[in-house]
Amino acid sequence: MTTVTTSPASGPAALERGVRTPDGEKFIDGIAGTSVRMNGCSAAAYAALYANVDVITAYPIRPYTAIMMNLAQFIADGVLDAEYVTADGEHAQLSAAFGAASCGARAFTGSSGVGVTYAYEMYSIISGARIPVHMSIADRTLDPPGDFGSEHTDALCTRDMGWLLGWAATPQEVFDKSLIALAIGEDPRVLLPQMVVQDGYFVSHIAGKVDLPSAAAVDAYLPPYQLPFALDPRRPVSHGPQIHPEQGPPLQLERARAMEDAIPVIREKTDEFGAAFGRHYSHFVEEFMLDDAEIAIVISGGHSVTCRAAIMRLREQGIKVGMARLMWVRPFPSEDLRKALRGVKAVGVVETNLGLGGPSYGGILAPDVTTALYHMEGTRPLVTSFMAGLGGETVPVAEFDWMAGKLAAAVRNGRVEKAAHWVGFED
Amino acid sequence: MAHEVVRQHLPLFDEDGRSAAVDGDAGRDLHYLPDFPEEDPYQAGHRTCAGCGPAIEYRWVLKAAGQDTVMAGPTGCMYVANSTYLCTPYTVPWAHTPIASGGSFTSGMAAGYEAMIRKGRHPGPYPNIVVMAGDGSAADIGLGSISGALYRNHDALYICYDNECYANTGIQVSPTTPYAGMTTFTPFGKAVPEGKTLPPKNLARMMAEGHPNCYVATTTVGYSVDLMNKTRKGLNHQGAAFLHCYTPCQKGWVYQTSMTIELGRRVVEAGLFPVWEYDPEERKYHYFHPPVQRPVTDYLAMQGRFGHMLPEHVASMQMAANRNWEDIGMDVPDELRELEDPERHKRLADEQYSMPLNRGVGA
Amino acid sequence: MSVRGTRVPEHLRLPIAGVTPPPTEQDGQRLFPTGNFRFFRPVYKDKTPPCNNACPTGEQIQKYLDFVKHERFLDGYLTILEDNPMPSVTGRVCYHPCETACNRKDHDEPIGIRNVERYLGDYGLQLPENPIKAELPELGDKTVAIVGSGPGGLGCAYHLRRLGYRSVIFEAMSKPGGMLRGGIPHWHLPEEILDAEIAKLLDLGGIEIRCNTRMGEDVGWDELRNYDAAFLAVGQDVGRRLSVDGADLRGVGGALEFLREAGMGRPVKAGKRVLVIGGGNTASDAARSAVRIGGGTSTIVSLESADELLIVPEDLEQARDEGIEFKPNTSVVRFLGENGVLTGAVLCEARLEKDEHGNVVPQHVPGTEYEVSCDSVLIAIGQTQVLDWLPAELMERGLVKADEYGRAQGHVFVGGDVTRGPAMVVDALGDGKRAARNIDVVLRGEGLAPPPEVEVMPYERLNTAYFKHAPRIEAPMASPAERRRDQKVEVTLAYSKEQAVAESDRCMSCGVCNGCDNCYIVCPDVSVMRDTRENGHYSIRTTYCKGCLVCVQECPTGCLEKVPEMDFDEPEAVTRMETAFAPYDGAHAEQSAFTKGLIEEAIAASDAARRQSVNGSNGHAPAGSNGSRGATS
Repeated sequence: MTTVTTSPASGPAALERGVRTPDGEKFIDGIAGTSVRMNGCSAAAYAALYANVDVITAYPIRPYTAIMMNLAQFIADGVLDAEYVTADGEHAQLSAAFGAASCGARAFTGSSGVGVTYAYEMYSIISGARIPVHMSIADRTLDPPGDFGSEHTDALCTRDMGWLLGWAATPQEVFDKSLIALAIGEDPRVLLPQMVVQDGYFVSHIAGKVDLPSAAAVDAYLPPYQLPFALDPRRPVSHGPQIHPEQGPPLQLERARAMEDAIPVIREKTDEFGAAFGRHYSHFVEEFMLDDAEIAIVISGGHSVTCRAAIMRLREQGIKVGMARLMWVRPFPSEDLRKALRGVKAVGVVETNLGLGGPSYGGILAPDVTTALYHMEGTRPLVTSFMAGLGGETVPVAEFDWMAGKLAAAVRNGRVEKAAHWVGFED
Repeated sequence: MAHEVVRQHLPLFDEDGRSAAVDGDAGRDLHYLPDFPEEDPYQAGHRTCAGCGPAIEYRWVLKAAGQDTVMAGPTGCMYVANSTYLCTPYTVPWAHTPIASGGSFTSGMAAGYEAMIRKGRHPGPYPNIVVMAGDGSAADIGLGSISGALYRNHDALYICYDNECYANTGIQVSPTTPYAGMTTFTPFGKAVPEGKTLPPKNLARMMAEGHPNCYVATTTVGYSVDLMNKTRKGLNHQGAAFLHCYTPCQKGWVYQTSMTIELGRRVVEAGLFPVWEYDPEERKYHYFHPPVQRPVTDYLAMQGRFGHMLPEHVASMQMAANRNWEDIGMDVPDELRELEDPERHKRLADEQYSMPLNRGVGA
Repeated sequence: MSVRGTRVPEHLRLPIAGVTPPPTEQDGQRLFPTGNFRFFRPVYKDKTPPCNNACPTGEQIQKYLDFVKHERFLDGYLTILEDNPMPSVTGRVCYHPCETACNRKDHDEPIGIRNVERYLGDYGLQLPENPIKAELPELGDKTVAIVGSGPGGLGCAYHLRRLGYRSVIFEAMSKPGGMLRGGIPHWHLPEEILDAEIAKLLDLGGIEIRCNTRMGEDVGWDELRNYDAAFLAVGQDVGRRLSVDGADLRGVGGALEFLREAGMGRPVKAGKRVLVIGGGNTASDAARSAVRIGGGTSTIVSLESADELLIVPEDLEQARDEGIEFKPNTSVVRFLGENGVLTGAVLCEARLEKDEHGNVVPQHVPGTEYEVSCDSVLIAIGQTQVLDWLPAELMERGLVKADEYGRAQGHVFVGGDVTRGPAMVVDALGDGKRAARNIDVVLRGEGLAPPPEVEVMPYERLNTAYFKHAPRIEAPMASPAERRRDQKVEVTLAYSKEQAVAESDRCMSCGVCNGCDNCYIVCPDVSVMRDTRENGHYSIRTTYCKGCLVCVQECPTGCLEKVPEMDFDEPEAVTRMETAFAPYDGAHAEQSAFTKGLIEEAIAASDAARRQSVNGSNGHAPAGSNGSRGATS
């Protein structure tokens, strides 16, 4: 019996960094080192420009559309050299980005709301193929009702599909996180697609100050994209073959391992970003006034900005409240969250999403947070969740005050009143 | 500065002889084929059924395209049968795509190579980019995706290998399943004696009419030189090209494994699959006029999927074939016109037809 | 961490994301030997094409047509020379039983094989050196006596030479060639062609022709027996006499004698009004020669009706074109003369009947007699030979007896017209070849055996879908007026190179692989292998062939057949699988080495790039403060 032996043929040389257009270089030189007020959509587009993406796949849906409008203008102005594929739907949009990235092109796509879910088939396929497509989402309520407003449900629907999934709370964070996510996802130790999510309108359409770096700084931070097994005639490989049932478990285990193996790289790339650009982000959990907190809000996304303000006011009233913001929802930072919430007596999870009929009969995040905290050593905090900001509604300071009240009551009573509160509809 | 995107040009094969699907009786009587490339980027060891029509087509397409090719294959029988269990028959880069993503994934590959070459990230030349989608993928679930790609005019060749059913899942009806074709979703019975009641979707015509820059052609596995030349023309065409290939499915159509190529000729000679080319610049169709015109029964009777047809079904099939003959500018001989009359037919199972030379049942 | 502590068995350590290395062109992908699907195996088994089968010399016609198709003329020429020493002769004079048998006649029209043969023959004559000369074996010490230097004798000498034997040919006439020279007019076979072919033969060495040596006069039967073996191919060059009144008039002669004199280059005369008596090819040749020599008219008087004439159709048509007249169903009652000189003949209506021995018995219709005037009569009613020098026990009904191997007695073989009556040149050539081979057998002390049975490929078993209808390319002809001008003007002209190639293209290669590549290209499983496109170079890759038989069905020529797999006994031909999905457990997992290599290479490259970038960016250490709290911008 002959033995099948294979070894990598001599492969393509390391990829060059893609050349920018002369106008692009001039344009970036002109803005480097400045602070520009722009909304989250623009910030995402600028990140793509700095990352010198090769292929952009677009399909219109509010509110993320503005990202693609900005990119289309960059291309029209000759500032960015990229193929701009006006797909015939989000499924095609994701497929085209997948195809491009499979060949070794840096592919950028995005969507919102039902657009995200229309492409649902693709998420598992792309991550399972280990193709680091970058997707920028400005989130939006799923239908029904017809609603343009922000809700995290769209992106959270994909949370178990093997993508790196994180929320950005400001335009600056959108810009930074897009670059960080690319650096992580494209790292050969990781090779996973990334979703950088911003809250629709609250972040995507409200301007904030964005510090813009030089092209050289970004190039130094973000190496050229090189897929080790690209669809390249110089070193042929096959992607995505069928498997035999007994081969399923080891391959799925490999996917699980990939998510875990991403964790140290996320830390590393976040730190490297801080070192390079002076903006130091938490790896996974932003801890705000948690050191001595008795109660804490767990939150992600743009509402954390309001939450911070509310906490500062509550602190003035002597209430020992803090905030833990999830920078990434996948991979879920169980360990970091436990560390951040050690000593806290009650935790409220702000759900800007729908988890209909789920374990808490509220949202999607609380079960994840609860599971993480369940394995905490010592005394575990009480956990409840707050349904707030649905359908694009704001979560005003008063609602955070109300939540703090409920948490304080839980601490007093030694038990939570209920697993999920519909904020604004309860006493 | 942007780098030039250099494109390949593949020379065409000599079109003398039977396998070329060219008009006219003149010329040399070659059954001797031209020298095709030695390389077979579609290699042995795939688990397609014996006598698989799509496998023959895959082999021809990749032989014509050569090694500097990148290929995508949406879900379908040729995904499952070819790439089974971590072994694939492709010596060229190949990727599976979801069944609806044939066009979109491929347009991504094309866009990726355009950008990478232009930006100096790939030395070029621009590879041949080929996607082979089944009829389910191309005419049904992925129609929009392929249409989008053709419309956007990405430089790639989009092939529908048409075995006229969803074969992988156990023979279900697809839009290209012929009228009266029996599938597990269109069984025949007392209430529905013909099985499938709808005529097939005219996929290639739709692609030609609707996509302003697209080279479109149809061909079958009956004509190797034609198929390979159309592959090369499609690849040489700068922009999108769509090739609709008739590829018999032994399992789904119930015929002797050895008859795959014969069916590829007979379907053309029966007027049921016109072979043509559409030149987007001239906006003209160039039709192949087969040297033989047969009654549809010569084709239908070779296949079990039509075995239940009643006289009126056969007559209406002949009517459809006759309209096809007229469409491609050929006279309908009186004897074929007369066969539009159900009175002239028996049940298909009892019809007389011209049996091809039979050298035996295989596999 | 959920994956900590997991362990995957070796045979399931699969490549990341299933990224799979490609198969090789050489071995396929090796993980799934699909040959085990197979119940039938395609097998290449050449049959005999009907043309080859019909040719008395056994010319491999399909083979040389195939060479000509590819413009490999030398190979084509050498192929003919294996069986026939003089293609430029047969290419002109052969009545082509091959074309009569050609399957293409059932498709449209038979291949113009003779014209291609002539093309190759003439091609060969123009070569500066006979290409087979270098290949010939050393001459041995055995010598064979051959009587007659007609096609039978020359053919035998040639094939003996190829087998290493010497030969001595006894020829009664002053020049060699027998009926080739003495029976076939120059306008059919130019003298220089015949001379060139004979010269080419003699140039091989070991062949001696003794002209003006008549059996029974110059050499006797006993002398023949001094040789190691003998071959009698004396032909039949004596014309039968017509026993009617006036047959001895001056002006009445034998057609054969007339043709022979002309063929030998001696002066002959023909009248202005020539009657040729007879209904066969000699009559036609004589009539046509007569108009060329005498410049008058020729009338063929035959017992046969127009439909019964034994003249080959193409000759008949040419004769008519040249103005030869015909009086079918006519018999000669007597010749008329004045002063012993022919002036006319009395003819009558008649029909042809034969007695129980096959002898012609003319049936005159009484009262239909009429007179015609003429100044020449040529009798062409059959031929015979003087064989009184042979022992009587070897004779029967004027012919030499022979067994099924063409053997008259011991080491004496016989062939040509003298064994069967007048026949074709190619029959004699075939007899010569057979005699040479059989002489070789007996001289080696072996027993003669009948030739192996052959399977002749019928039209019905060809895949005719591959053959476009294409008309036969007719050879060009000299115009009738031009032909009549001189007996040296060749009637049928040669194919051009393009015509020879195009006509060879029409060959359907019945039952014989011609490297058309259809089996190669139709195989879904890349299992028809060949190094070059030639017969004998095709094989089936049994590891993968699934036995679909598409190749067998699509083989245009029918040289591929299906054979049940059970008929083979080669354990190695089919790879057996130890598992349901691969030849052995873990075959898939071995591929992970490839993918792992790709990833490790990329990680190493990325590490190197990062080190470089960190060093180059002015000492920015990768920041790692665990206590970073939120955005600081």
